[in-house]
Amino acid sequence: MSEQQPFSVDIGKLRTAAKPEATSQVIQTSDVAGERLGFVNRAPKGRGGRQPSPRTGQVHAKTLPHVAEEISAEAKRRGVVQGVLIEEAWALYCHQNGLETGG
Amino acid sequence: MPVIVIASPKGGAGKSTTAILLATELALAGARTVLFDCDPNRSVSIWASRKKLPKNIEFINDVGESEIIRAIKHHDTDGKIVIVDLEGVASRLVSRAISQADLVITPMRGTTLDATIGARALALVAEEEEALGREIRHAVVFTMTRAIRSNQHKGIEVSLKGQGVDVIDPPLMERAAYSALFEFGGNLRDLPPQGNMEGAISNAIEFARAVYQRLAEPVEAAA
Repeated sequence: MSEQQPFSVDIGKLRTAAKPEATSQVIQTSDVAGERLGFVNRAPKGRGGRQPSPRTGQVHAKTLPHVAEEISAEAKRRGVVQGVLIEEAWALYCHQNGLETGG
Repeated sequence: MPVIVIASPKGGAGKSTTAILLATELALAGARTVLFDCDPNRSVSIWASRKKLPKNIEFINDVGESEIIRAIKHHDTDGKIVIVDLEGVASRLVSRAISQADLVITPMRGTTLDATIGARALALVAEEEEALGREIRHAVVFTMTRAIRSNQHKGIEVSLKGQGVDVIDPPLMERAAYSALFEFGGNLRDLPPQGNMEGAISNAIEFARAVYQRLAEPVEAAA
């Protein structure tokens, strides 16, 4: 391995300039200067699509509007959450297709 | 204390390698450095995850455009050198980071494409200098340079210097050890042998020294 020694930094010799405060005016000035050259806002706009359930963290699949409405109405009628219907539908699907299911 | 921003809207120009080499060599030279990874590709984070961070290096990631200025200011304190590795796109994050820089380094390979896109970073520095009314020193470092330089590389270097652009000498050479940093983490001295280690270490030291000299001399001597 190399025996070369790095040089030594003398912190006292380092120069630094006074930078502008992070005021909204300074930030806007910087943004405008950047935008003139195509340096634009590319921050993620947030997650698209349906948000996960705050309770379970699950993201439910999107369905056609009439299916969603029908599931909602049936769940209300039975007094259960929509997930119960989905679980039942999944059990039927597994049964029809000979799939194993944990339930 | 100095804030060094590594900026080029061109991906693959060597920004993260430049940032890591600079941070690790300055740290070995006794400077406390704070290394920001602001690149969604998280190249520096990969390096940082490989091994315990070398002495004198603090690592910060997940900083977006809304926090970048405050984050830099928070760490821009006595006795520290802040190094910011940016994403390889033309974004507001880049322009905001540059507003806080003492030195902007634009890495570029010796190709027309890198030079053309990298020049946008130089133009942005000039634009911000005018808009903010303060001088921001900037320099170009050629990366992945081979011992025998192409005519294209030589032409670009002559052209940049002719336009008054500060070109850091030495360039960063193409070394297996530099790529290996992302596999093993740490600094060059920690690596298992990778090709010409002596050459890689010597090149990195001289590059860091050249940057240090720019940070240590008055701004008016820069041009």
